[in-house]
Amino acid sequence: MDSIKYLKSTDLKHWLEELARENSVFAPRAEGDSVIFAPFEPKQEMSIKHAPTVPPKKTVFPQSEKLVDFTYSKDPENLGRVMIEGKEILPEGTAVVFGGRPCDVRGFTMFDRVYLAEKTADIYYKTRRDNTSFITLACEKPENTCFCHWVGSSPSDTTGSDVMATPIEGGYVLEAFTERGQDLLTSRLLENGDRWILEAQEVHTIAAGSLTEAPNLSQAPQKLLDVFDNMDFWENAAAKCLSCGACTYLCPSCYCFNITDETAGMQGTRFRSWDNCMSAQFTMEASGHNPRPTKAHRLKNRIGHKFSYYPTIHNRIISCCGCGRCIKSCPVSLDIREIVLEAINYEPAAGEE
Amino acid sequence: MKFQEELKNSIRKVLPELDMVIGWGKSFDPLHATPHFIRRQEDIDELVISPLSVHNLATYLPGLRGKKVGIVVKGCDSRSVIELLQENLIDRKNVTIFGFPCTGVVDQTKIKKAMGHTGNIESCDMSDTAIVIKSKDKTRSLPLSEMLADKCHSCRYPDAIISDHFVGDRIADPAPAAADYQALAAFEKLSVSERFGYWLKELDRCTRCYACRNACPLCVCRDHCAAESRDPHWLSQENNVRDKLMFQVIHAYHLAGRCTECGECQRACPVDIPVLLFKQKMNKEIRDIFHYEAGVDPEATPPLLSFKMKEENITEKVW
Amino acid sequence: MPVLEGKELRIVGFLCNWCSYGGADTAGVGRFSQPTDLRIIRVPCSGRIDPLFIVKALMNGADGVLVSGCHPRDCHYSEGNFYARRRLEIMQRFLPVLGYEPERFAYTWVSASEGQRWQEVVKSFTDQIHKLGPAPKILGPQASDTLSLMAAAL
Repeated sequence: MDSIKYLKSTDLKHWLEELARENSVFAPRAEGDSVIFAPFEPKQEMSIKHAPTVPPKKTVFPQSEKLVDFTYSKDPENLGRVMIEGKEILPEGTAVVFGGRPCDVRGFTMFDRVYLAEKTADIYYKTRRDNTSFITLACEKPENTCFCHWVGSSPSDTTGSDVMATPIEGGYVLEAFTERGQDLLTSRLLENGDRWILEAQEVHTIAAGSLTEAPNLSQAPQKLLDVFDNMDFWENAAAKCLSCGACTYLCPSCYCFNITDETAGMQGTRFRSWDNCMSAQFTMEASGHNPRPTKAHRLKNRIGHKFSYYPTIHNRIISCCGCGRCIKSCPVSLDIREIVLEAINYEPAAGEE
Repeated sequence: MKFQEELKNSIRKVLPELDMVIGWGKSFDPLHATPHFIRRQEDIDELVISPLSVHNLATYLPGLRGKKVGIVVKGCDSRSVIELLQENLIDRKNVTIFGFPCTGVVDQTKIKKAMGHTGNIESCDMSDTAIVIKSKDKTRSLPLSEMLADKCHSCRYPDAIISDHFVGDRIADPAPAAADYQALAAFEKLSVSERFGYWLKELDRCTRCYACRNACPLCVCRDHCAAESRDPHWLSQENNVRDKLMFQVIHAYHLAGRCTECGECQRACPVDIPVLLFKQKMNKEIRDIFHYEAGVDPEATPPLLSFKMKEENITEKVW
Repeated sequence: MPVLEGKELRIVGFLCNWCSYGGADTAGVGRFSQPTDLRIIRVPCSGRIDPLFIVKALMNGADGVLVSGCHPRDCHYSEGNFYARRRLEIMQRFLPVLGYEPERFAYTWVSASEGQRWQEVVKSFTDQIHKLGPAPKILGPQASDTLSLMAAAL
């Protein structure tokens, strides 16, 4: 079976409708002045010309998800003894996510190294991950906040995608990279795409060419550790940070969570929800001690994690995907690129250690 | 703007006595500014005052209490500083206020709508009447008045209400072009049940990032915010539109009589939810009942911190 | 106690311990009958009432909320109800922006001896809520859970 297909633009909605018969399909849609991922509705317009405001993170890693339903019961023989019965709630069904960008989907590969580790796999994440396919849109026109090429990616990076859709005149060139991707390309709406391969490659080349030259970040892991104890550096870097969570929740590769039990009477639910390391209480311990008490500490951790600690543990792969959302959506336009470069170029002043 | 040099000189003189001066500087692209912290003399040259200087810098003041901080303020920002003084959250002697005559700041959402897309801006030039934006594939000259934030059209305090150093000429007759609360009036044309549906739809995409809360100068509870408290348990951490709506009500109510409508909450929202409407409703009612505006008089007591034995505008319900 | 399906709506009452709860007690002792929709929560003073209780009650399924305290100047703690009056008046005017009819919330002053007046207040408020019908409810975590049903109802 050929793995390169062509889809006419006018057939896009029909194809997604076909896929929606067996899968939940998610696509970018405008809500207010933002573009979010929502269940695909044939009657509603999709918004795919520009990268969406939020990544499709919640399709595999929901903003909150139920883990266990539990019920308390008292032992009738011994009323002081309370028993608890828990019922796992595993996600069901399959999903197809259309319209994420290479940077968005790359984020899930960052999750995989942590959530699908050799010894332990997160069963909730794994179930969704195994049952979700990604049809990624290659980027035609990177924005000036895009820096995917700094972190080992590109506007046509296929990492994490099951199918890559490259927009060309009149339609899309679709290429499958996984078995799941192959299975998605069986529709009769698709024709063989071989004669458009060169056109698709042109799109990729032009997009990559429009990016300004990437600096060398290989020194970043060590340089960020070098300034670890330099709180002046981090206080300056974090001075304008508001310590909210916009950057974290809009980041394709931020994966921290919090677990909460909410009980009403004799039953309750344990669920996990997104947590963000920029918030003041993220590292608050039961004793009352907080190892990251200031926003300088927390910003140091977030940037250090993306550009230093993760690459050190995971084969020099930077967990930041270069999508630039943290820059665009930050209320004070804090630029993570600036800080990483400052750390790399940091020379202690004469007389300092 | 013309007085930019005067302002830089003003700061230059005073900086040696201060730990820092907070203003605005250039950002990642020509269409954005960013808060700029001036600590050394060479930092002063990067100061930029323009219609892009949207950020309310007063939000940094409570966290810097104890330090000697200078701050550049627009008229609306100075109201936040005054409110912080009213509530004793900052010390007047440790704050040096630099004011200038503000002719308005832009709303990035309006610019994005007019340009279609603002991801590839190459240059941005401003005159008194227009903003000329050049992106990779088009150049547009947009009338500045149409790109200004809504709050600027009904602004009654363009000059800093209190300041230690004021550069440029004060705006002689600040007659606002538009009436107050127009967005609210438009919203209130919806029927009561339509409003319920409206908020559910808008708040569905909220990510609970709390950018709205953290951008607010008056939200100083930090670690003790009711939204994240487990005891008392006001909100579930579950991704539920009811909790998202409840948070907005908590926020608006905790700001009752304190909010100066700087609009940062709405501007900070990464998914453009019109959260300012809640606070505008709150403020309008407080103005109607108590004839009170927050952040105008440093000596005034906010209405919810006091009471009268006989209230002029509150009548008892007749059964 | 579950709500009597089809006959009762759920009305939450916040009564101050000294005057209003006493007044409700007096009504009970005097056998003044009232509709049973109202479920009372006793608080020490109307000044203890965080206006957000009203919104939380409505958002969690109440159809109406009634607050009652001592008459102004007669507060057991001297000033509590003065503050309450200001806070609750603001909440009364704020509620419509959320999509709740302002008549779903009322605050009033009933003293411990006013048993009959309490009966009138409860009857009147319950009627008011019944005229309005059940309050808009949030039916699920996603907006679509509620909105699709609202659209179907129209």
